[in-house]
Amino acid sequence: MSAFVEWRDVHKAFDGKPVLRGLSLGVAKGEVLFVIGTSGVGKSVTIKQLIGLVPIDRGEIWFDGQRVDRLRERELYALRRRIGMVFQSSTLFDAMTLAENVALPLRKHKQLRHAAALVEARALLERVHMAEYADRHPAELSDGMRKRAAIARTLAVCPAGPAAPGQLHSGPEVVLFDEPTTGLDPVSARRIDRLIRELADELGVTAIVVSHDPTSVFGIADRVAMLYQGVVHALATPAELRASPDPIVQQFITGQSTGAMETPGF
Amino acid sequence: MSQRIANIGEAVVSAARAAAELWMVYISTLAGIWRAITRRKAGRGRPKGELVRQLHAIGNRSLIFIVVTLGFIGMVMTYEACLQLSRVTGDYSQVGPQYIRLVISDFGPTLTAMMLATRVGAGIAAEIGSMKVTEQVDALRMSGVLPIDYLIVPRFIASVVMTLLLSTVACLVMYGAGGLTAHYSFGVNLNLFFDVQLVRMRHVVMMIVKAVSYGAAIPVVAGFCGLRARGSSEGVGWATTAAVIGSSFAVIVLDFAISAAALFVTGGDL
Repeated sequence: MSAFVEWRDVHKAFDGKPVLRGLSLGVAKGEVLFVIGTSGVGKSVTIKQLIGLVPIDRGEIWFDGQRVDRLRERELYALRRRIGMVFQSSTLFDAMTLAENVALPLRKHKQLRHAAALVEARALLERVHMAEYADRHPAELSDGMRKRAAIARTLAVCPAGPAAPGQLHSGPEVVLFDEPTTGLDPVSARRIDRLIRELADELGVTAIVVSHDPTSVFGIADRVAMLYQGVVHALATPAELRASPDPIVQQFITGQSTGAMETPGF
Repeated sequence: MSQRIANIGEAVVSAARAAAELWMVYISTLAGIWRAITRRKAGRGRPKGELVRQLHAIGNRSLIFIVVTLGFIGMVMTYEACLQLSRVTGDYSQVGPQYIRLVISDFGPTLTAMMLATRVGAGIAAEIGSMKVTEQVDALRMSGVLPIDYLIVPRFIASVVMTLLLSTVACLVMYGAGGLTAHYSFGVNLNLFFDVQLVRMRHVVMMIVKAVSYGAAIPVVAGFCGLRARGSSEGVGWATTAAVIGSSFAVIVLDFAISAAALFVTGGDL
């Protein structure tokens, strides 16, 4: 079965320093795939390349049978109606209320008028259990609440037409999460985990999650890709990863400071 | 030696690339204004009241700063002019008429823009730079919003309008402050000082052209610097510094270019 999202031999360097050195990775439709690895290994860079926020140096990126790494900025806007992203910091706009934040992509992508977009935004906030805070500004809320609102805004990224085949709603087909639980208390983190799992199970959304949180990784992932030295070092289910005899995998998942893994700067 | 040449070449290529990007930001801003005017779909998405907010931030909040600084500059300029004249001829009859001509055609709009380049340029770069390093600009792109439409277009319109208005206020303040200084320090007759017989329409046109040009340049340069911010707070600091230097430099270059063009157009009769 061909992958729904695929990186093929992708290379990327910053200021001459290579980060990705031939990364290849495939993600199936409806899958929850976690990308793990040490800081600076290129996890966030990898997912941002899919939506054109970081250009690649060499290689190919495919989404639903279409090559996307050569798209121009205007063409990327069509792609971004099918792929949403929840950034590491919630990136809500301070000058707007939560409802206005969520309404923004609805106005842009669905061409809704302000009032209609606000009604739909409240429904999306309800989905992440944030409807009662719709008229608050981001600065008035906790990190966990802001993350949930950011997920609602990501769900607002949607095609103007009906749901795609095999899709249970007209929202994004893929959602990229960049460290969604970092900095959150355990309760808020598990709520975010549950939301990600619900998106996949109830709405058929493909989720690609960059994370350092072992509870999330081993709690909700279908598969886990471990990046090391610019390539996918291991790709397995959480159970397979736990049982892996690979010393680098074991050192990472058990969090040992010494071992086979080379960590620059230490 | 070859390494030095390579470094120079790299710097030239980098500067040329930055100039091309700056030009693209300017063109994209004009295109964004066109979209806003024609109410095309791409123009939607700006928060309501953003233009009014920017008019207030750039204009109202700069008013006291401009009035105070240009008032003092006006006083110093007139005082120095009268002092020099007192040592040479002692004839102050031409101080006021020549001063207002200079203030309208050059000092008023240029000094106002220099002040705005520091205050407004730094503010724009810091705000947009912070949004860039915290990924809010990427979030805008993911929401289907063109960052230039959202971030630079309202500031561009507000800056053009407010630089023109503040330049007018600055000319009046400089003229008034200069007249009172000449009167109380050197006994210059106020009727003699406030004589506008040398002011021509071309001087007013020049003030408008300069104010509009400066008002357009400051947010584009500052916004461009903000959008190039990288990393964290250090990147925002760099963007802010670059914005102040770049905006001030743009004002000086535009002053020279517009004055030279005016001299050419009027055949030297300015």
